[in-house]
Amino acid sequence: MELAIEIEKLCKSYPGRMALDNVTFNVKKGSIHGFLGPNGAGKSTTMKILSGLIPETSGKYSVNGKVGFLPEHPPVYPNMSVIDYLKFVYAIYAPVVNLAHIDEVMTKTGLTDVKDRLIGNLSKGYQQRVGIAQAIVHSPEIIILDEPTVGLDPVAIADIRALILELKKDHTILFSSHQLHDVELLCSEITLINRGEIVVSGAIDTILNSLKTNMIIKARVKSFTSEHKKKMISEFGVDAVEVTEDLEQKNTMLRISTKGKTDIRSELARFLVEPSIGLLEFIEERGDLEDLFKRMHQ
Amino acid sequence: MIYTQKIMILAKKELKDAFSSPLIYVLTGLFSLMMGWLFFNYLLQSRQMTTTTMTQGVITPIFGNINFIFIFLCPLITMRSFAEEKKQHTLDLLLRSQLTEMQIILGKFISNLSMVLFMLALTLLFPLILAFSGYSDWGVVWSSYLGIVLCLMAYTSVGIFCSSLTDNQIVASLLTFCILLGSMLLVISVNATNNYLLALMVQYLTIPFHYEGFTRGILKSYSLVYFATYLAFFFLLTLKSLQSRKW
Repeated sequence: MELAIEIEKLCKSYPGRMALDNVTFNVKKGSIHGFLGPNGAGKSTTMKILSGLIPETSGKYSVNGKVGFLPEHPPVYPNMSVIDYLKFVYAIYAPVVNLAHIDEVMTKTGLTDVKDRLIGNLSKGYQQRVGIAQAIVHSPEIIILDEPTVGLDPVAIADIRALILELKKDHTILFSSHQLHDVELLCSEITLINRGEIVVSGAIDTILNSLKTNMIIKARVKSFTSEHKKKMISEFGVDAVEVTEDLEQKNTMLRISTKGKTDIRSELARFLVEPSIGLLEFIEERGDLEDLFKRMHQ
Repeated sequence: MIYTQKIMILAKKELKDAFSSPLIYVLTGLFSLMMGWLFFNYLLQSRQMTTTTMTQGVITPIFGNINFIFIFLCPLITMRSFAEEKKQHTLDLLLRSQLTEMQIILGKFISNLSMVLFMLALTLLFPLILAFSGYSDWGVVWSSYLGIVLCLMAYTSVGIFCSSLTDNQIVASLLTFCILLGSMLLVISVNATNNYLLALMVQYLTIPFHYEGFTRGILKSYSLVYFATYLAFFFLLTLKSLQSRKW
């Protein structure tokens, strides 16, 4: 598989602080690669180095192709109209300006309707789109997006997500986030970074599976007695069952953690459907990033 | 050719931005009001002073005043150039583009200089008014204009440098003002020394010393060299300031 970005033992130190410590990972060509970590983990620093904004202290990296970069704050001029701004960015990034291409980019990013409005008057979601448009206007092979969905409303987040998926057709995308949900929906590969060190890097399914030591299932039932609990533990060999009464809705919440990774969801569901228990809801609890990091530290 | 084209793309964008915001018009209005009032006063005075010529009574003092007032106004024009880019996080956009750092500096310089020249252009009315009353000493007028343009170039280069140091426009303008006023006062502080050579050297370093020649209609080659090195020096400082992110 061809690689779009190769990073080897990248270090960046600021006086008295190591921002990046031997960071090594690769991004495959044509993939969407998620770059995850809590705030201050070194995501932005890595991306700034990759886009050539700041130099590395040691180590090496190679980026095979032109890079489009959307920093944490979209670099837009609030006093310019969308179309003027994109023309300007295009002119300083590419030798020849082709107006048809700008139209194409605006269509792709859904900016055609607002092209004559001042960027400062647009909503944050649209400003973020302008930011993405500026990153792709000079047709780069690789796009680096630094937290493209942060601070947006759910509809705008969904839009940006759809846009990223759309961009995958022509570009390799490296994007950072601290929302595991975004990443799960978009990426095939992820890299986790914490305190400047890579925790793990690879295919998302493998990583999520390896991090899971057991499965946690949440269920809502009409009633649940200690008899049921005993039966459940003896029959399915579950590790623990937490029972909490929901007084408001007059029913019971269960939090069941299993031993090992064996999938016992269907058996468990069949058991809970029984009339004396009365199953209302049944869901596998998925850990978020915070959870993952907590677990990694333990 | 392409080198200058890219500079002009940036300069044009900057100018469009500046002329669509009220600051430049407010400053131009204020400047024109002050200069018009001063011009009117000098005209009235020169009517009574029959021993002095129009050049001595009106033109020379008015250009002295233009120069002095621009020490206050130039920092207000140039303060935005890099400080605002930093605040809006757009400086990285420019630095990552195909523009070299020098092209960015020159683009900013051209746009800021155009703004101050726009303000200056309105003072062309004064010699025009004098021309109607038969004034004809054009050599002094044009050399004074050359002198003031060179001064404004120097002020702009200082302003751009100060703006590249901070993301706060007020700090940038105050710093520019301090440097400009400080270098003007340098010539006074030389009074403290009895060393003639030192006094000459310090005098050579101040802008008013060179500007003064132009207002009397004297073009000195070393003054042109002085302004050229002054610009180059501050361009170099700005370049180093922009490159400092890589240190």
